[in-house]
Amino acid sequence: MKIRSLGYNIKQGFKNIYRNKMFSLASIATMTACLFLFGVFYSIVTNFQYMVKKAENSVCVTVFFDEGLSDQQKSDIGKNIESRVEVASIHYTSAEEAWSTFSKDYFGQYQDLAEGFKDDNPLASSDSYSVYLNDASMQPTLVTYLENMDGISQVNRSDVMASSLSNVAILVGYASVAIIVILLAVSIFLIMNTVVIGVTVRKDEISIMKLIGATDMFVNAPFVVEGVVIGMIGSIIPLIIIRYMYANIINYVLTKFSILNNILAFLPASSIFRVLTPVTLGVGIGIGFLGSILALRKHTNV
Amino acid sequence: MIILENVTKEYTSGTPALNGIDLRIEKGEFVFVVGNSGSGKSTLIKLLLKELDATSGKIYVNKKYLNKITRKRLPSLRRDIGVVFQDFRLLPDRNVYDNIAFAMKVVEAPSRIIRGRVLAMLSMVGLLDKYKSFPNELSGGEQQRVAIARALVNEPSILLCDEPTGNLDPENSWEIMKILDEINKRGTTVLVVTHNMEIVQAMKKRTITMNNGKIISDVEKGGYFYED
Repeated sequence: MKIRSLGYNIKQGFKNIYRNKMFSLASIATMTACLFLFGVFYSIVTNFQYMVKKAENSVCVTVFFDEGLSDQQKSDIGKNIESRVEVASIHYTSAEEAWSTFSKDYFGQYQDLAEGFKDDNPLASSDSYSVYLNDASMQPTLVTYLENMDGISQVNRSDVMASSLSNVAILVGYASVAIIVILLAVSIFLIMNTVVIGVTVRKDEISIMKLIGATDMFVNAPFVVEGVVIGMIGSIIPLIIIRYMYANIINYVLTKFSILNNILAFLPASSIFRVLTPVTLGVGIGIGFLGSILALRKHTNV
Repeated sequence: MIILENVTKEYTSGTPALNGIDLRIEKGEFVFVVGNSGSGKSTLIKLLLKELDATSGKIYVNKKYLNKITRKRLPSLRRDIGVVFQDFRLLPDRNVYDNIAFAMKVVEAPSRIIRGRVLAMLSMVGLLDKYKSFPNELSGGEQQRVAIARALVNEPSILLCDEPTGNLDPENSWEIMKILDEINKRGTTVLVVTHNMEIVQAMKKRTITMNNGKIISDVEKGGYFYED
């Protein structure tokens, strides 16, 4: 197809949408619904994963040493732990820091009671490494390794249901993918129907075009434009709705459930839309294109 | 130039619509194809346009071997053949000018030449003053003249007419035939499938008569041998 025909075909594509108003609107509405749900699931899953990640990052294994270990030996143990793949970072807590934290927590405002232990730290041999994990599900492997390591007297594992959290995230992810795939299949089917109806309405015109000597590409182009435009509109509308809803819902949740503020950590809209916008537009346009091509392959042979 | 060698076309029912046809039409000829309904006249036109494939035999149109022509090269074959139908097949939502210009747009002609060529065609068929009218505002004869203008605007070397006067009164039929004769005099090969005995007898052109998918006569100076 020549460049000069591009404008003509784009115009014809828009005319198709206009002539076929009701079906075009139905396709746009379905596409909007599908991509809206896609956006909602994406936002939920992404935020959920973010919360899980945060929870996982707080999963921490504490390692205590055998008595009488030198600082060099403790440092060697630290390096050894740090080199493990499961480990994101480690933090050394000296006996003094441990006592200071404990006394603050335990004695609170009665710090003078803690003064009695000033020169005799009850936690003298309680210096430790706090080991943070890359992935909470790796905790059992690491704990087994640490428990069998020389120079370590005790390993305290985190009680957070880290692996269950990971499993829930995976489950929600799979369920979302399944629902989205079904909805997208419905969208393709509807766009195909819209284009087929457009082709049927213009059957005489197409047959004349072909007999005059129009190329297949020239005949098909307006219908592809129609599919792509429907896909594009059907992806822009849900993006606008979700963008508007996202900030409002987060504000609402954080205000209404302020008690959960420590647990509920939401991603900023910009992080969500940096990925969601191109993906939704791509999916919408892609489905419009695919739907029209599939419809045309069957129905424009003259 | 059109050549058919031993061409047979069978539909799924098994009855041949064309049965071993041999035909040669030279460049610049004016040919009538006559015969009763079901004699294979319309099938012949569909084969020449490659709307249908022959079951056997060879077909050449303007040196193109139709049996082997690919779908991709089909447009180049059809751009050199104009077609006029009994039912005009104009686009009802476009005016006369746009109906004719449409034929140039779909073959992606440069817009700078479209206007001049469309106006020249309108002048040839005598409808210059009706360029803004829509098909439903025109008489049958006028609609057929628009259809002829549309068929010729891309300057094809062959014009195929399938019952062009079938829906017209005698006066309008003669108008159309005069235009087709004029087009032929300008060098275009014209093949007219018709039932109109009066016109065939009067115009004294080469006339091919078909019956049951076979050519039963081919005379140089006209003569309608078959009656329904």
